[in-house]
Amino acid sequence: MFSYFDVLSVQILFSSFILMANKRIKSYIKTFRIQSLLIALTAGAMGFSLEKGRIDLLVVCLLIIVLKVILIPNMLEKTYASVEYIVEKDFILNIPILVILSCALVVFSYFSVSTIEGINSGIINAQIVNSMSVILIGLFFMISRKKAIGQIVGFLVVENGLYVTALFSTHGLPFIVDLGVFIDVLTAVVIMGFMVFNISEKFDSIDIEKLNKLRG
Amino acid sequence: MEALSIRSMFQVSIMFYVIAAVISLVFIKKQRLCNTASNLICAAGSVFGMSASILKIFSEESLIAIHIFQSSIPFISADIKIDNLSAFFVLSLSILVFCVSLYSIGYISTYVGKRNVGLFNFLYSTFILSMFFVMTSGNAVFFLLAWEAMALISYFLVVYEGEYEENQAAGTLYIIMTHVGTVFLMIGLMLVFSHTKSFDIFGSSVGIPILAKNIIFILFLVGFGAKAGVIPLHIWLPYAHPAAPSNVSALMSGVMIKTAVYGIFRFIFFFLGAAHIWWGITIVILGVLSTVLGVAYAYIMSDMKKTLAYSSIENIGIIFIGLGVSFIALAQGNLMVGSLATVAALLHTFNHSLFKGSLFLGVGSIQYSTHTKNIEKLGGLIKKMPITALFVLGGAISISSIVPFNGFIGEWFVLQSLFANIVSGKAILNLLSIISAAALALAGALAIATFVKLYGISFLGLPRSEHALQAKEVPVIMNIGVGIPVVLCLIIGVFPMLLLRVADKVVFDLLGVSLFGQLKGGLMIVYHPLKIPGSVISPAAALIALTIIAVLAMLVIRVIGGKYIERRYGTWDCGFEALNSRMQYSGEAFSNPIKIVFRMLFRPSNELRAVGGSTYFPESLEYVTEFELIFEKYIYNPAVYLMQLFSNRAKVKIQAGSIHSYLIYIFVTLIVLMTYNRFA
Repeated sequence: MFSYFDVLSVQILFSSFILMANKRIKSYIKTFRIQSLLIALTAGAMGFSLEKGRIDLLVVCLLIIVLKVILIPNMLEKTYASVEYIVEKDFILNIPILVILSCALVVFSYFSVSTIEGINSGIINAQIVNSMSVILIGLFFMISRKKAIGQIVGFLVVENGLYVTALFSTHGLPFIVDLGVFIDVLTAVVIMGFMVFNISEKFDSIDIEKLNKLRG
Repeated sequence: MEALSIRSMFQVSIMFYVIAAVISLVFIKKQRLCNTASNLICAAGSVFGMSASILKIFSEESLIAIHIFQSSIPFISADIKIDNLSAFFVLSLSILVFCVSLYSIGYISTYVGKRNVGLFNFLYSTFILSMFFVMTSGNAVFFLLAWEAMALISYFLVVYEGEYEENQAAGTLYIIMTHVGTVFLMIGLMLVFSHTKSFDIFGSSVGIPILAKNIIFILFLVGFGAKAGVIPLHIWLPYAHPAAPSNVSALMSGVMIKTAVYGIFRFIFFFLGAAHIWWGITIVILGVLSTVLGVAYAYIMSDMKKTLAYSSIENIGIIFIGLGVSFIALAQGNLMVGSLATVAALLHTFNHSLFKGSLFLGVGSIQYSTHTKNIEKLGGLIKKMPITALFVLGGAISISSIVPFNGFIGEWFVLQSLFANIVSGKAILNLLSIISAAALALAGALAIATFVKLYGISFLGLPRSEHALQAKEVPVIMNIGVGIPVVLCLIIGVFPMLLLRVADKVVFDLLGVSLFGQLKGGLMIVYHPLKIPGSVISPAAALIALTIIAVLAMLVIRVIGGKYIERRYGTWDCGFEALNSRMQYSGEAFSNPIKIVFRMLFRPSNELRAVGGSTYFPESLEYVTEFELIFEKYIYNPAVYLMQLFSNRAKVKIQAGSIHSYLIYIFVTLIVLMTYNRFA
């Protein structure tokens, strides 16, 4: 019935695969832009298609475009420009292995989610599986990257995944919840950008492997 | 109509406490006004609480329900349900709150200008409120919330004088122990929920299988035992009570540790039911342990509040013995003995809150005027503070369970229930009863010695320090606060039927058996139910007999000895120039014989050191005596050591400092949870 939602969710999943395969930090941010745009599209499409016509979802769509497609990536690019000059290998394992592991994560989330009652009537709800996979891949992305910007983008992808999961499973959260989530993310990014800047000042690098003093 | 008015009285009582809390925050700048106002309002609230709970116990209404708020979220609702058991505990709370609030008007005024009095009053009134809610909550979630609120607020009150390091340490120990207890309670309540699918406290436990019931019993016993301070879970109590201001210690010792007794009544006795004999045996053994060891430690302490704290452990032990006997009797279907023992436990709970409250307040008065609670620095206070001395004497007699005061009644009933529990053909149970009775008698004797020491060393003789010399009688309002519970102790002691009638009504509500018919004999006399002629006692008659004997003795002495002439001489001082306070028997010396007799328990070590000068001609001698706290040394210290070892290892191995490994922890947790989701 909502086949174009299926298509969108697959595209969002695919964008996170692209993210996993990216080599350069600048392209992380670009991919994040694309993924956020896809999510905005999903929200917008949902706002039009649902029988009652959820206007607040359209507002959410606009918010996503302003915040996650324009504002946050711009901020990240600015931070990146001010801290890092040298291009070096950023990932722990090599790209093909990372992508294969991500595939395994998709299979795993299918394996895990398929038994939840209520979200699938007869056939497995592919949208939920896809968006759960986005969460896992985002987290995995955070693990696989060494530079702090990679962690920020990974965090944002996890957040995107959570939001999409919520969107697909509820067809529109209460508006106030949406607003809260967006403001949280914005604050988080502002703080993290600031922290990255400080880290680079202190350590002359944003490689988080050098931050190993955090222990009780 | 009647039930309606009782309900509104309870509501008014709650409202008063809330208003007191709000007022103390509003007038936080005007400390004196804030202190007087909020304490008076608390006292007013307690008057309503008192009368409402008495009316409730004697009304026909079985359950009074008040909904504070309800929400559509499942299990999140605050509803109060008051049955006779709750009302009994609320009565005990309200009486003590009334006295302590009056007392606090004077006591807290020493803090004016030095500390944040408004904050104290706020904490004080919310503390009362939280105890009220613990005793009246209608569902387990609300109960746990109130329980936690009570623990946290009392923690803040314990560390109110937080600049002393020992107070901080006491607070930390307290909050750790109380949280360990709460964890057990939480697990227990969740287990209950997993079988009954309901958080209703008044529900039925029919659906719970036997094994689960046993596990739940142990969880609840540990959880409530930690709060009650039963040995071996008592270690927080002797530190937290002395650290708190005296009025708070009175409430903590008088009522807060009783909320655990309430919890055992409510969740084990009432909800789970007395299913097995071994439950009762466990409770009795814990009780005996606490009674004997508690009073043994109380005897050797030289800090007055520590003595009182250990004596609380003893009294909790006595209550536990009563409870345990009722479990044993009920598990065997012996309703009569069961109700007798339950009445005994309830009586002692109530009595203990009165006399322990008055003693803590009395010690607070001593601290107020001498600024010390160390018994070795006091002495001769009876001349400086005669009214306080009188009231503390009353409290001390009462806690030593000597006849015309109420402490005797509770202990007498516990002993009677122990004797009644002896039936032919059950050798081991009989042995337990006999040993418990003997232990109780031993504890009674030690308790008398403890309070002879506490009273004698601090009030009699010559002042041992400048502080004691400068002591002055405390303000009247404080003396009223100390005096009311002592007077109540005497009234209940002489006319035990007053309280027995109340306790019997409560037990009738719980078990459906009334003892009252078998306790007949008017207001003054208490019969034992078994109608054995030897086990009848009438405290009023004892009091009259005592008076008559005293008067007769006086007369006889007058008649035989003739008229005596008063001569004022100095006491013979062996040729020294004058007697001074160092020649008196000290508290340490008083307790040393017992320390040596029970050296297996205390492991005392004495050392005489020469200070200054040469070895043969020292300038002064120093006598150091120490003892071991075996539970701390052999149970808690190794446990703490292991914990620290584990934490250090964990710090190196698990918390390695790498952000990637932390991220991997999150990732692995997520994967495990999702796998669990697949198979659950």
